[in-house]
Amino acid sequence: MAELALTNAIKRYGATQVIHGVDLQVDDGDFCVFVGPSGCGKSTLLRMIAGLEETSDGRMTIGGRDVTHADPARRGVAMVFQTYALYPHMTVRENMSFGLKIGGTEKSEITRKVDAAAQILKLQDYMDRKPKALSGGQRQRVAIGRAIVRQPDVFLFDEPLSNLDAELRVEMRVEIAKLHKQLGATMIYVTHDQVEAMTMADKIVVLRDGRIEQAGAPVTLYEDPDNLFVAGFIGSPRMNFFDGTVTRVEAGRAHVSLPRLGGVEVPVAVTEVPGEGQAVKLGLRPEHFEPDGGIRAELTIDVIENLGGVSYAYSSSDADDHPVIVELRGKSRPNEGGRLAVGFDPSSALLFDSETGRRIR
Amino acid sequence: MMSLSDTATPRTATSPDWDLFRRRGKSILVHCIVLGLVAIMLLPLVYMVMMSFKTSTEIAQDPLGLPDSLYWGNYMAALSSMGYVRSVLNSMGITISVIVVVVFSGAMAAYPLARLQNRISRVIVMVMALGLATPNFVTITPIYVIFRDLGLLDSYLGIVLAFAALKLPLAVFFYTSFIAAIPIELEEAARLDNCNNWQIFWHVIRPLLAPVTATLSLFVMIMVWNDFIYPLLLLTDKDKLTVMIAVYKFVGNTGIDPTKLFPAAVLGSLPLLLMFAVFQRKIMAGATAGAVK
Repeated sequence: MAELALTNAIKRYGATQVIHGVDLQVDDGDFCVFVGPSGCGKSTLLRMIAGLEETSDGRMTIGGRDVTHADPARRGVAMVFQTYALYPHMTVRENMSFGLKIGGTEKSEITRKVDAAAQILKLQDYMDRKPKALSGGQRQRVAIGRAIVRQPDVFLFDEPLSNLDAELRVEMRVEIAKLHKQLGATMIYVTHDQVEAMTMADKIVVLRDGRIEQAGAPVTLYEDPDNLFVAGFIGSPRMNFFDGTVTRVEAGRAHVSLPRLGGVEVPVAVTEVPGEGQAVKLGLRPEHFEPDGGIRAELTIDVIENLGGVSYAYSSSDADDHPVIVELRGKSRPNEGGRLAVGFDPSSALLFDSETGRRIR
Repeated sequence: MMSLSDTATPRTATSPDWDLFRRRGKSILVHCIVLGLVAIMLLPLVYMVMMSFKTSTEIAQDPLGLPDSLYWGNYMAALSSMGYVRSVLNSMGITISVIVVVVFSGAMAAYPLARLQNRISRVIVMVMALGLATPNFVTITPIYVIFRDLGLLDSYLGIVLAFAALKLPLAVFFYTSFIAAIPIELEEAARLDNCNNWQIFWHVIRPLLAPVTATLSLFVMIMVWNDFIYPLLLLTDKDKLTVMIAVYKFVGNTGIDPTKLFPAAVLGSLPLLLMFAVFQRKIMAGATAGAVK
């Protein structure tokens, strides 16, 4: 097991740069998740770490060894692909032992390692089957087993659960989390699934357009995002953003007027002082609305999504692209088309610069 | 007020018997068309077999009629005068050698062509496609001249090389499209499993080519076995003649000897038909491989 460090890692395809000087440190034994919208470069970055994409510039070390331009097999990494990438003509045992066989490992050692991995992943009964005779979940386990037998320094997972159905995805998510605890290995995991990222990660790296927007513990990113993008990307349903104007700043509080909520004024604690009249966005998560909050407003509800234990009320407006989402608990629900009185505590609101998207702390 | 049932137009009643009659009628029609097409395709073969059992008198009196009895004397005469076993062995040896060369060199050439996305590989694929489109007769003279200069005339090596060169574009065409459909992740997984390019080809790509190899081998086998022009041009030693040239012995300058030509043609086709019958299932599996997941 080992730590991974990227220093100013750059990837170019011809004249097009897709990864722009990424600096990242993943500690030994960490479970690090790369998230971001499609085309943000998360898979490219993972493939650069695997050595499947050449790093155009910068430096990459695994366990202190410079592997920037090393062959994939010499980096001490193993990868689990989204499509499993199992060799269709080989049995489960052959799939898992192939890498060791090519590497010249002794037969007895191969058998020992493969059997041990099969036991961890409960694959003993399927060892003589070919991939086509396995279910999606079993195939994914074989792919993970193939990675385990190589005893890599770093495990790489490229959206490994996206081809599975919802139930199996939850099951495999728990299995991978257990495996991480059992092996104590450094794992890097690419996903676009919020829940996977929040539940599995020690560290989440949010990427956009080939740049790291923010990296940190899931709770940090959720509660203390650095910018509008991270605040909007992390969390489901997404954070509500209200356009506002700073009316005055006094005693470490910026008073923000919100036309969307009937012009209520919200005092937000800040250490850096915004200018009066500055356009800002106020961020508020759906669960931060509470009936007895200090700031009160009314919304017209268009749609109610009832998920059983919790419901979400959606309030659209012509002025806004995104509806305001309010989390509702308890049994009383407003009618669709009706008015809903909402309140929130100003301390749960986050302030962002409308122009740059940067958080105003 | 009208009820819903009042406004509904009653459907034209069709009895179950009528439906059954229509389905059966359609089925019979389709079968009749298929049988008709099969009959058209089998006609030359049936005619050849029929003629092979006729005496010379029967052929002269009624060339289209059925033989009075199965006269095996024609076969005995053809076998004794055409060097059948030798020519079949020659054809088999040449065909198998060509298949081996074409399969290996075609697959190895196709692998990089399928994966490299640069101008050179695109040009090579275009040149190969040109090779597919070039009529055989255009290449006869250049091949003869080159092989004469290289001393490859009247040799097994020469005829195998000539056929291999002629069939290689077909193999590259087959394999390139097949390999392009193999997920690149398999190769990437193999690369992470410590494989070099050759090991990826040999351990991962090659085994996956089995279905397309079966189909390609069938095409090459039929084309090489039945080819007449190139063996006629490149082989002169009677011990090296292929079965098709041996059959041609019964076509003389002044006319043909049907009592020997037809049994010889049957005998010449027999090994090919037998091989096809034996490997039919595998070949058809290959031809349809990839059609469904």
